[in-house]
Amino acid sequence: MISVNDLKKRYGNIHALKGVTLDIDDKVTSIIGRNGAGKTTFIRILSTQLKPTSGSVKINDLDINKDVQKIRKIILSIPQEAQPVGIMTPLEHLELYLLARGYSLSDARKEGRYALEELEMRDFENVPCDELSGGMKRKVFVAMALASRVEIVFLDEPTTGLDPLSRMEVWNSIRKLDSNIILTTHYMEEASELSDKVVVFSEGKVVSRGTVDELLEPFKDKVRVEKTDGEEYDVKIGKLSIKYVPKHMAQEYLSRGYDVKNITLDDLFISRGITLES
Amino acid sequence: MTFSYLGGLRLNLRFILVFAYNYGLKFIKRGPSYLIASLALPLSLLFLIFIISGGKLLPYAIIGGVLSIVTSNAINGAADAAFFRLQIRFQDLFVASPLTKMDYMAALTASYFVFSLPGIVLYVALGFIFHILNLLKLIVLIIVIILITLSFTNLAFIIAGLLRHIRNVWGITAILSIIATVLTPTFYPYFIIPRDFLLILLISPITPASIFLQGYFGLAPYEPISIPILIIETIALMILGNIFIRWRE
Repeated sequence: MISVNDLKKRYGNIHALKGVTLDIDDKVTSIIGRNGAGKTTFIRILSTQLKPTSGSVKINDLDINKDVQKIRKIILSIPQEAQPVGIMTPLEHLELYLLARGYSLSDARKEGRYALEELEMRDFENVPCDELSGGMKRKVFVAMALASRVEIVFLDEPTTGLDPLSRMEVWNSIRKLDSNIILTTHYMEEASELSDKVVVFSEGKVVSRGTVDELLEPFKDKVRVEKTDGEEYDVKIGKLSIKYVPKHMAQEYLSRGYDVKNITLDDLFISRGITLES
Repeated sequence: MTFSYLGGLRLNLRFILVFAYNYGLKFIKRGPSYLIASLALPLSLLFLIFIISGGKLLPYAIIGGVLSIVTSNAINGAADAAFFRLQIRFQDLFVASPLTKMDYMAALTASYFVFSLPGIVLYVALGFIFHILNLLKLIVLIIVIILITLSFTNLAFIIAGLLRHIRNVWGITAILSIIATVLTPTFYPYFIIPRDFLLILLISPITPASIFLQGYFGLAPYEPISIPILIIETIALMILGNIFIRWRE
């Protein structure tokens, strides 16, 4: 579906992407990484919004530089922090977006209503978007993806800034999409909930990829112990000492004043690629 | 899923018209205060000029008022264009779609034109009431209004494209709007300005537009050179707007 080869992007002296090589062919792929890891740059290049400095990208065998208009017919990209226009209603947004894709007005209205119905938003179809909640606003964009029936949907941090309930609402909407989805997030729970594969970006490079279970394999049978100014650590974040230890040693660390935490995808970030002792 | 064509230029007319309807006409209905705000300055100046000149300069105030409404609405488009690009990422949504930047720019331009329509209608009505306009003059006025809308909307795209963040955009558009509509000979006869200063003011398309209209309406000496200047400036701004819109960066 998507083949990326030695993709580089430079902004002046800043190397946002440092040679990314990657094949993406799963239903839902999450790209995770800290702020500044290159996730948004990567997704903006794939969705034809940004030209790469070098390297190649093929989407369904179409070249990102030569076949831009063909690619734009099969993709949809919802940018980070996208907000609907306050004075326009959800249905007007959908109509407009589908008209932009070449639909007739009657088809745009029909497909728009279908998508709003699917996402349980029909009651709000004529409410100006500045009167909607944050989650509902974000769902307007998911409805665009649903209505347009494109092959590939790019979602750049689709739930950033939403409360937990709204986030779950958006996740449920995303699950209704038939398209292949590539989403960026720094919410580990989101990646774990939605994705078949996870790709980890760090400082403009892919540092690991796989299923959630595969990525957490090095942490198998381990717990994270942490303590302020603790004497033992694998990673130090400020004054917080963090160490990964076998589960059977948890009690010992508890008695020494450490907090003991279960492993989550967050630990991929926290561990920062350190090699864990078996 | 067919696209419409306009004079060989491939444009998505359905999108442009619906955008103009949703973002121009419905904006007037849902946010009428913006319409009143856009009319406040030209109507206040019309009142002042009428009182101070005892009605003698009323034709200038009416012609200037139309140009002022169209210009300030188009310049304010910079704030919208920047807001769409930098804040709510509405532009990015369309970049990654089959829509072309010409469609997007035409849609925004049409929406500002629609938003200006109530003001244009009001001033045209005043023009007929005070016997400043006839049908032929109205046609000429509409052509000039279209050129001014095109030139200042593209100026708006240039401003929006140059900005890295939106915090100053409302200040910049307010300043530009005042410079473009009050400093230039929009509400007063162009021939009372020193020639050298007038040449500097010609950099703004509203100056050749005002010179042309004042001459054509018989209010001031006719300067035919103002027409090519207006057309050249409009084309130049359209080319620059097309570059600075930052469609695919």
